[in-house]
Amino acid sequence: MSNEIIFSEVSKFYGEVLGVNRVSLNVPPGITSLVGPNGSGKTTLMNLMCGLIHADQGTISVRGMSPRDPEKLMRSMGYCTQFDAAPRGYSGYQFVSAALLLHGYSAAEADERTWKAIDRVNLREAAHRKVAGYSKGMRQRIRLAQSIAHEPEVLILDEPLNGLDPLVRAETIALFREFAALGRHVILSSHVLQEVDVISDQVILIANGSIIAEGQIHNVREEMSEHPSQFLIRCPDAARVASLLFAEDHITEVRLHADRMGLLVLTRSRERFSHLLNEIVLGGQAIESIVQADANVDSLYEYLIGGGR
Amino acid sequence: MNLWAKQVLTIARLEVRKAFLSKRGLWVYVLALFPAVIFLVHGFDVKLKRQRWSSQITDHALLEGVQAGETASDVRMRLGPPLMDREFGRRRRGEDGERLEEERYRHLRYFDGQRRYDFHFTNGVLKEKFEQPLATLEENSQVFAGVFQYFYLRLAVFFGCLGIFMNLFRGEMLDKTLHFWFLAPVRREVLLVGKYGAGLVAAAVIFGAGTIVTFLAMLWGLDPADVQAYWQSAGPGHLFWYTVATVLGCVGYGSVFLAAGLLMRNPIIPAVVILFWEAINGFLPAVLQKLSVLYYLQSLCPLPPPVDKEVPAVMRVLLAPAEPAPAALAILGLLGVTVLVLWVASRAVRRLEVNYATD
Ligand SMILES: Nc1ncnc2c1ncn2[C@@H]1O[C@H](COP(=O)(O)OP(=O)(O)OP(=O)(O)O)[C@@H](O)[C@H]1O
Ligand SMILES: [Mg+2]
Repeated sequence: MSNEIIFSEVSKFYGEVLGVNRVSLNVPPGITSLVGPNGSGKTTLMNLMCGLIHADQGTISVRGMSPRDPEKLMRSMGYCTQFDAAPRGYSGYQFVSAALLLHGYSAAEADERTWKAIDRVNLREAAHRKVAGYSKGMRQRIRLAQSIAHEPEVLILDEPLNGLDPLVRAETIALFREFAALGRHVILSSHVLQEVDVISDQVILIANGSIIAEGQIHNVREEMSEHPSQFLIRCPDAARVASLLFAEDHITEVRLHADRMGLLVLTRSRERFSHLLNEIVLGGQAIESIVQADANVDSLYEYLIGGGR
Repeated sequence: MNLWAKQVLTIARLEVRKAFLSKRGLWVYVLALFPAVIFLVHGFDVKLKRQRWSSQITDHALLEGVQAGETASDVRMRLGPPLMDREFGRRRRGEDGERLEEERYRHLRYFDGQRRYDFHFTNGVLKEKFEQPLATLEENSQVFAGVFQYFYLRLAVFFGCLGIFMNLFRGEMLDKTLHFWFLAPVRREVLLVGKYGAGLVAAAVIFGAGTIVTFLAMLWGLDPADVQAYWQSAGPGHLFWYTVATVLGCVGYGSVFLAAGLLMRNPIIPAVVILFWEAINGFLPAVLQKLSVLYYLQSLCPLPPPVDKEVPAVMRVLLAPAEPAPAALAILGLLGVTVLVLWVASRAVRRLEVNYATD
């Protein structure tokens, strides 16, 4: 039995509105981030995986299980949703323990696991208060507690870092890593690639309901080798270096800085660019520093989704 | 215990409080207790009258002796001052349609300790004489039978179940909390049965208790000896079957509105359609009649509801089933309809998607 999450040619429409379109994915265990702007289809993909909505076309298999069979699937899946309401009148404790009781745990065991999960998100003090009265971040955390309380093999989190303070955020990320280290799936979503790229084993970029790029973060960047990379070069004789660079066809743009000691270079091939730089340095030109100007992953992402929204 | 049964119990336990105290659900209690309040007010009124009139009791034999044709002043002289003496005139067109003649009416009321006597005089001469106990068991049971069938089953239980059961899924969709249940490792059918169970417990307790309280209120204020005799004869049986009919009403209407809540957005439409279906049921072919909840409930009621003789035959068909089913068959039939409706609901709940945006 496969231990991957497999989407094949999955489409989902909300009436006339496109949710996701012909998505095919193989997600291995580890931390996977779904990144895309508002309305790109992240929640739709997650809801499809959990069987909250059903695909119009295509098939989904979660570690060999069908999202149509919640009795089996949800035993090994936890979903921390973007919907932040708890059933009316529930306290944080009830919210977590009710779900565990539905798993079939005995009252005693459910109680024990509930406190364990609540402690993991540091909500013990507020546990007996109504969820409706929680702050946004607290609601986020109690949902996290509920989704991990039964130690699922597949943990799905819709924008789990939203609204968390830096300390809690670090703890939450540590928790994801812990889960992933056990060979489990941790799938999370975010608007901001920067926020998740360092913690992810792989990222999936999504826009307008379609997957734009997927893979390990450096592979994703590789995928964009066609896209010009920007470099900032500091050197004493910038004009001379500029003329040397401009002779090459993979260099698409060279801009001289106003102080004539800096250059902004756009190249379509980083490999050939680094060779070229080597030659220039060997040729006797002094170069003080080279910085990739678009190392900021956001720019990459903005490019991927079509120049940003 | 079997996992499904355990899950059904867990869901029902978690949900039952919400079913009892649903949002804006106070009117369910009002519906359930409304007839009891009416009977209590009536009983209180009877008690009050009895107390008030006891100061002026007239001898029974004297009252019985009053004959048609006597004059009002004779009667007053013989019986003493009445409880009530009301006089009024009414102009009437004569036979030729022109001349106006005035008629004088007078109404005297006496009380012999148990019964009240009303004498109606026209132009000073006794024309009509009525006597009736302050309240009788027979009369009250008739009224109860009518209230129970025309108001309680048709409207109170009907709309109460609408309020309780349509909300089980619809309400969670509106609250944006349905995903909580869908994300549990629970078959959708099990969830359906669990939620239905919670609604059923709430509805059966509220309306079952309402029936019992109304029944007791109906007996309140009656002659204690009559009431005791009733408890020793048909009383317990009547109460039992009324309660059974109410609870089965919750079973049947509960399933219907649970399904309606899954299939439709707006509660008004199914309510009207089902109300209409139940209303015209008497006209339908026998096979279709069996697909009604009310048909079985009416068959279970111990007393037929009073039907005025002036009610046209057409209407009478609407009010009571032509051929009531025997109790055992009625119960089986109702449970059969319920299972069928729940099966339809389970198909719908399997297809149901969490879709909060469009609500
Ligand atoms: N219930 C719904 N009814 C109609 N359209 C919907 C519904 N849910 C989502 N959509 C549409 O489907 C598309 C994808 O929405 P989705 O919620 O999956 O985006 P998202 O990436 O999660 O966005 P966000 O970052 O805002 O959470 C959007 O165009 C949205 O308008
Ligand atoms: Mg979303």
